Amino acid sequence: MSRPGFVLTVDERTPPMLLHSGESFRLQQFPLGTRVIYPPESLPGVPDVDEAIEAALLNPVDSEPLPALLHAGMKLTIAFDDLSLPLPPMRKPDVRQRILERVLQYAADAGVDDVELIIATALHRRMTADEVKAAVGERVFRSFWPDQLYNFDAEDHANLAHLGKTDRDEDVEISKRAAESDLLVYVNINLVAMDGGWKSTAVGLASYNSLRHHHNAHTMVHSRSFMDPRHSELHSSAWRMGRVLSEHVKVFQIETTLNNDAFPSQYGFLTKREWEWSIRDQAVFLGTKRGLDLMPAKTRRRLFQQMEAPYAVTGVSAGAVEPVHEQTLERVHRQQLVEVNGQTDILVMGLPYLCPYNVNSVMNPILAACLGLGYLFNMYRGKPLVREGGVLILHHPVPWEFSTLHHPSYVDFFDEVLAESTDPKVIGPKFEQQYATDPWYTHLYRTSHAYHGVHPFYMWYWCAHALEHLGQVIWVGGDRRAVARMGMRSASTFADALELARDTVGSSPTITYQHAPPHILSDVR
Amino acid sequence: MTRTRQRGQGLAADIAVMSRGWRWTRRSLPPRSAEPHHTFPEPREFPTEWARSRPARVAREVILRGGLGPLVRHETTVEIEGLDVFDGLDGPVIIVANHASHLDTALLLTTLPVKWQRKVTVGAAADYFFDAWWRAIGSALAFATFPIERHGTGLSDTPTALIEQGWSIVMFPEGTRSPDGWTRRFRPGAAALARTHGIPIVPVAIIGSFAAMPRGRNWPKPGRPPVHVRYGRPVRPLPDENTLALNGRVSAALAALLDEDSSDWYSAARRAATTETPASSGPEVANWRRVWASTAGPAARSAKAKAWR
Repeated sequence: MSRPGFVLTVDERTPPMLLHSGESFRLQQFPLGTRVIYPPESLPGVPDVDEAIEAALLNPVDSEPLPALLHAGMKLTIAFDDLSLPLPPMRKPDVRQRILERVLQYAADAGVDDVELIIATALHRRMTADEVKAAVGERVFRSFWPDQLYNFDAEDHANLAHLGKTDRDEDVEISKRAAESDLLVYVNINLVAMDGGWKSTAVGLASYNSLRHHHNAHTMVHSRSFMDPRHSELHSSAWRMGRVLSEHVKVFQIETTLNNDAFPSQYGFLTKREWEWSIRDQAVFLGTKRGLDLMPAKTRRRLFQQMEAPYAVTGVSAGAVEPVHEQTLERVHRQQLVEVNGQTDILVMGLPYLCPYNVNSVMNPILAACLGLGYLFNMYRGKPLVREGGVLILHHPVPWEFSTLHHPSYVDFFDEVLAESTDPKVIGPKFEQQYATDPWYTHLYRTSHAYHGVHPFYMWYWCAHALEHLGQVIWVGGDRRAVARMGMRSASTFADALELARDTVGSSPTITYQHAPPHILSDVR
Repeated sequence: MTRTRQRGQGLAADIAVMSRGWRWTRRSLPPRSAEPHHTFPEPREFPTEWARSRPARVAREVILRGGLGPLVRHETTVEIEGLDVFDGLDGPVIIVANHASHLDTALLLTTLPVKWQRKVTVGAAADYFFDAWWRAIGSALAFATFPIERHGTGLSDTPTALIEQGWSIVMFPEGTRSPDGWTRRFRPGAAALARTHGIPIVPVAIIGSFAAMPRGRNWPKPGRPPVHVRYGRPVRPLPDENTLALNGRVSAALAALLDEDSSDWYSAARRAATTETPASSGPEVANWRRVWASTAGPAARSAKAKAWR
């Protein structure tokens, strides 16, 4: 029986708390009275994943069963989430592979010849062949790669279709192949409440021309939060676009949810509550931490990036996009939602080594900021965990390090744009177009494995709500130059960070530590 | 500072943080606010068989006779009476004593005849003596303790097994140290064991240990305070006697021993015969007066006459 999440109050019996800090961990003793939010324990997975997939495809929500939608001579497109989901990558077989194989088996049985599989990368980097094979499995890869299984190209204008505008004058421009298919099947992994729904197709298969309408500072500031689709301007926009899309193509949405088993069993201490650590857990923690500290940086990164999560699938839903997504959200909430009474003056987080945009890559300062201020800050429903004008303390080394293969435009963004202003509302109008249309960045996006030129802007926009809401952001253990470039403050220790925070929240602030990962969605009352 | 040295210090700092945070030397407890969400593990009895093995017994004899015995005699003035009660005994017995100090176990084990000392174990509170690994190992080795759950639902099988193997057992039926030096209600566990196995109970009165080393102290007061250990005649279960009746007789025998210590054997025996033995639970007066009386301790009867008057 999985225990629910809860809010702990630190007392004299409370051991130090585990904090992620990039490619390492640390133990931190919090002041008495600090609240610590623990995620619910992992829910059990469905007993038989293949059976659950089969049941979802044959008994879809508000749709005919999948086999009834397939027939010879039709044009079938299957799109699926890219490597930004799930995090960490899941142990094989990936649930995408299981679903794709089942869907393709039905297509083969129905005699469908014209099948294409599109990786819904939007403006993300192209996945490598190995990464694709890991996600879809050897059978699918060998049958379709590279001509009928490929990365979406948002700059291939000949293969984009402008489907019209929403009632708010937003362009809807997506993959032409997807838009002109008789059936578009989307295979999703819904790790957090932000994922899925119309965001899968209307964002994952969209061009910059379409994305710019919701990926901007204004939308992000009015998405409170984007982890709560019902109160997210980002999702409202995606839903409007989705409805335009649905007038052109039938979408059969397949959504899956995972439990909280984010780390392999040998790192069990990462998901255990600290006072329940056995002697073995303590020894493994100590050994792991010391080992990581002694390891060369490259080896350490490789070790982390090779980590595969033993996620269990908690449910599969298929059918019409919106009702399917309702079911998905219910399951995500069951796994991640924790009730929290009241906001806090200081919110503390430990940032792990991975965010959606540095799989097999480097977490540069912009991605670290996006993970903390964008994703984790927004893991709330109701109101933010930290009060307006409060302080966010983040633990991460924030190395001044960039992957020139994956994040070339980030380097210039960090050097040029942030040096001029860190205000998302200022930098957008001034610099975004230049980066979005830069031919070199576009070339690298299309032919190499680079994120789109505009991508660092989006990362910074994700932070917009937090930047506007917070009084101060302090990084513990961060590279001082990198943190200063982002207009934030750094501290050597947590005690120093609390001292710095006094200027903003006074001498006896309330402190809350969000003990993630695994994911927690705080329902703040 | 070299890099290796820095790393060594980092490791040491981590270990220090963990040993404090996870209470390595104490029983691990969940934070209070986590208790409703905490799954307490099924209690497991700390294994103590090893402490009754031959090497452990040899080690214990060295500890008791070479270390603890001389230390107790150095720090206190011990007077022992009634050891002859063991002359007529053979086989396991239950030794029952009043309990007011951590000195009591040491006093009993270091004053027992060697033959009995080698084959005696001590029932010790599981939640105190076995809550941390180092205390469990230390007490099991030095005192041959085995855990007794004070708040559990029943007695474990260990005492029965020990008696069947010929081991005598020391028990403090009050369950905990007296807060004021006077005895508290006797729990019937020792009487039940004796009745089940048909073995005698040897009552022992310990007088002065509260004054010498009460709760809160971990070393006897300076000045070699006097302590009396008075062994009484064994109390044997009667054929049709129930546990409560036997427990009452043991309690009365111990009260008579305490009375005997403060007066003389014959006077105490006469009072016992007319059920006029003073209650071992002490007078019903204000708490401070009870403590006050206990802290006086017994008179050191064998004190040598001073050379200079």
